[in-house]
Amino acid sequence: MLNSTVSRAGKAKAGAYAARTRAGLRFLPRSPAFWFLFPAVFALAVIGIYPLLVALYNSVHQYRLADLAAGTPFVGLDNYIATLTDPTFWQALGRTVLFLCLTLPIEIVLGLFAALMLHRPGLAWMRAAARVGLVVPMATTYAVVGLIGRLIFNRQFGVANYLLGFFGVRPLDWLGDPTLAFVSVMIMDVWQWTPFCALILLAGLTMVPKEAEEAARLETRKRLTILWHIERPYLLPGLTAILILRSADMLKMFDAVYTMTRGGPGAATEFISVYIQRIGFRLFDQGLASAQAILLLLLTIVLSRLYIRYIYQEIA
Amino acid sequence: MNKRFLQRKLAVASLAATSFFLAAHASAWTLKEAAAPYSGTTLHAIFLDRPGYAAAEKLIPQFEKETGIKIKWDVIPYESTRQKEVLNFVSGGAQDIVLVDVVWIGEFASNKWLVPITKFTGDPKLADPNLNLKGFFPILLDSFGTWNKVTYGLPFDNYSGLMFYNKCMLKDAGFSEPPKTWDDLLNVYAPKLTNTAKNQYAFALQSRRGETQSADSFMRMLWPNGGSLLDAKFKSNLMSPQSQAGLEYRQKLMKYMPPGIVDFDHAEAVNALAQGQVAMITEWSAFYPTLTDPSKSKLGECLGIAAEPRGPAGLKPALGGFSLAVNAKSSAKKQAAAWLFIQWITSEQMAKPYLEAGGVPARTAVYQDPAVQAKYPFVKPMVESWQGGVPDYRPRFPEWPAISEIIGEWGTKMMLGQVSVKDGAQTIGSKMEAILQKAGYYDGKKPLLK
Repeated sequence: MLNSTVSRAGKAKAGAYAARTRAGLRFLPRSPAFWFLFPAVFALAVIGIYPLLVALYNSVHQYRLADLAAGTPFVGLDNYIATLTDPTFWQALGRTVLFLCLTLPIEIVLGLFAALMLHRPGLAWMRAAARVGLVVPMATTYAVVGLIGRLIFNRQFGVANYLLGFFGVRPLDWLGDPTLAFVSVMIMDVWQWTPFCALILLAGLTMVPKEAEEAARLETRKRLTILWHIERPYLLPGLTAILILRSADMLKMFDAVYTMTRGGPGAATEFISVYIQRIGFRLFDQGLASAQAILLLLLTIVLSRLYIRYIYQEIA
Repeated sequence: MNKRFLQRKLAVASLAATSFFLAAHASAWTLKEAAAPYSGTTLHAIFLDRPGYAAAEKLIPQFEKETGIKIKWDVIPYESTRQKEVLNFVSGGAQDIVLVDVVWIGEFASNKWLVPITKFTGDPKLADPNLNLKGFFPILLDSFGTWNKVTYGLPFDNYSGLMFYNKCMLKDAGFSEPPKTWDDLLNVYAPKLTNTAKNQYAFALQSRRGETQSADSFMRMLWPNGGSLLDAKFKSNLMSPQSQAGLEYRQKLMKYMPPGIVDFDHAEAVNALAQGQVAMITEWSAFYPTLTDPSKSKLGECLGIAAEPRGPAGLKPALGGFSLAVNAKSSAKKQAAAWLFIQWITSEQMAKPYLEAGGVPARTAVYQDPAVQAKYPFVKPMVESWQGGVPDYRPRFPEWPAISEIIGEWGTKMMLGQVSVKDGAQTIGSKMEAILQKAGYYDGKKPLLK
C-alpha cells in the first residue's frame, strides 16, 4: 500500500517534470553535441563575433568618441575609401609586411635548428630543462618585452652596447636610428617567438616514425636529406600553424613596439597596429579605425588561406 | 518721524544681523562639517608617476581623516592618461576627480564632461570662504582650468619650462653663468661644452615621438623666435620666417646634443644631466626633486637653475600642467565630495605642505615667503616664467591631440633629416589645416578658441 503510494507519487512527479520539460524547454535541442559545443560557441560569440559585428557596424558610420555631439551618421564606405587612399596606412602596412618577411624566416630557421638539436637522442634531462626554458620568453608579457628592449638597447647603459664594446664596436644608437630601431624590434621579436617555432616543430619531429628515421640513417649520412625526405612532411602542418599564427600576431603586434619605440623614431617602427591604435585611441575616430581593422582582418584571412593552400599537407 | 526712525533702526539692525550671520557662517565653515554628509564616500582619481602626485598621496590621509571621504587612485603613464579618461567618460568608468592636462581642457569642456566650478562656489555649504580664486597665478588658472571663460578645474600640478644646468661643467668651460639667450647657447656655450670623444654634450632636448616631441621640442623652438603654430585665422604659421628660423635653429643645435636625441623622453634628458653627460637641459620645473635626489643624480652642489634662455621674441618658456576637475557624469554626492577634495588640495592653506611634500602649488602667496624662495631655488625663475609665459603655448582646443600626433611623426622625421625643415613644416601645416577645416574653424561653425 505504502509502496504503491510512493511509486504513484513518483510517477506523477516524473510525469509533471516531463510535461514541464515538453512545455517549457522544448526549444532546447537534446543532442549532447549541442551542449558540448555550446560553451565554446557562446564564448566565441561574446569575445569574438559580437565585437567583430560592432566593428563592422562602426566602420560604416562616423563614430568619433571625443566628439559624440557630432552624431554617428551612416557614411557608407567613406571610412574604407579614406583608409585605402591614405598613404600613411599603406606605408605602415608595407613596413609591417617587411617586418613579417624579415623576421618570420629567421624565427623559423632558428626554431627548426633548436628543434633538431632537441630531437637528438641522449641527455634526456637537459632536453627537458631546455624545453621548459623555451617557454619562458613566450610567457613574458608583450609590454614587458618592450620595456626590457628599451633597457637592453639603451645607448649609454644598455647590455647590447656593453657586449659590442668587447669587440671594439663604438656604442650604437639603437633606438634613435630608424634602421637600428627596426632591427631592435626584430631582435626582441625573434627572442620571444623563436622558442614557439621550436616547440611546434619539435612536436612535428616527435611524430616521425622511428623506423623510417633509422632506415634513412642507414641509407645516408646527410642530415639535410633526412630532413627533406623523411621529416619534412611531418613538419609541414606545424609550419602552417606557425605561419598562420605568427603572421596574424605580427599584423596585430602592438604592445612591445609601443612600449619600446612608440612607433618612432619618425615612423620607423610604426606598424599597422600602432597606426590603427593611433587612429582609434589617440584621435578616437572609431569608425575609421574599425574600417582599418576590418581590412587587416581580411588580409589575415587571405594570408591564412594561401598558407593552407600552398604549404599545408596532410600526412598520409 | 518716529516711524522713519524706527524703519531706519530696523534696517540697520537687519543689516547688522545679516552681516553677523554671514560672518558667523563664514567663520563657521569647516571642511569637516562640509564633508559630513559625504563621509564614507569613495572617490576615484587618476594620477601620474610624478613628484606632484607623490606629494598629494602623502597628504591625502590627512584629508581622509578629517572628512571620512576615501580617495582611491590609479597611477598610469602620461601617454595613456587621455585615452583612459576619454574611455571612462564615454563608457561611464569610475573617475570622479578628473586630471585635466592643459591641452585637454578644450576637448573635455566642450564635450560637457566637466562640471563648471560655479556649481560649487555658488553653494555656501561647499564653497570654502577662503577659496580665493585670485590667489592662483592667473596664467595657470586661465590656461589649465578655464575654457571659453568658464572655469572647470583648479591648477594642481604646475610646470614651467626651466633651464637646469651643471654649474661645474660650465665653470670648467669658463662660464660663470648660464646662457641668457638661445643664440648664446648655440654659438658661445655649445661648442665649448661638447666633447664627442668623451661622450659629453652641451645640451639635450627631449624629442621622443609623442607629446614630448610636439610640446617639449617642436613648440619650444617656435615661440622664442617669434614664431607660432597658428596665425590669428587658425591657418598654419609654420612657414613664416620666424617659425622657420626656430625650427632651423633646432637642427643646428642637434650637433651639440647626444646621438639618439629623437628617442630621449623626459627621463633620458633628466638622466643625461644628472649623470654628467650633458651640461644643460630645458625641462619642466617638476623635475627639481629628481635632480636633487642623491640616489638619482650625481649633481649635488653643481646643479644650477635659471629661466629658459630668451629668443628674439623674449622669454617664452614652455608652459604645462594639470588641473583637477569634477566629472559631470559622477553622482551628485560624489561630485560634491570631489569638489571638497580639489578645493582642499589646491587651497592656499595646503600650498606650503604640498610644496614641502614635493609638489608645485599654483598659489602666489606661498612663493612670496623669503624662506620658501631660499629653500627652493627653482621658485624665482619659475615665477618669472609664469609672469611672462604664453597661455596658449600649445593650442588647447579639442583638435590638439590629432595635431600633436602629426607633429610627433613629422617633427622627429625633420630632426632625423628624413625630410627638410621646409618640407616637414609644409606637411605638418597642410595636415593640420585639413584637421581644422574638418572641425569647422574655417567656415565659421566653430569659434576660434585656443
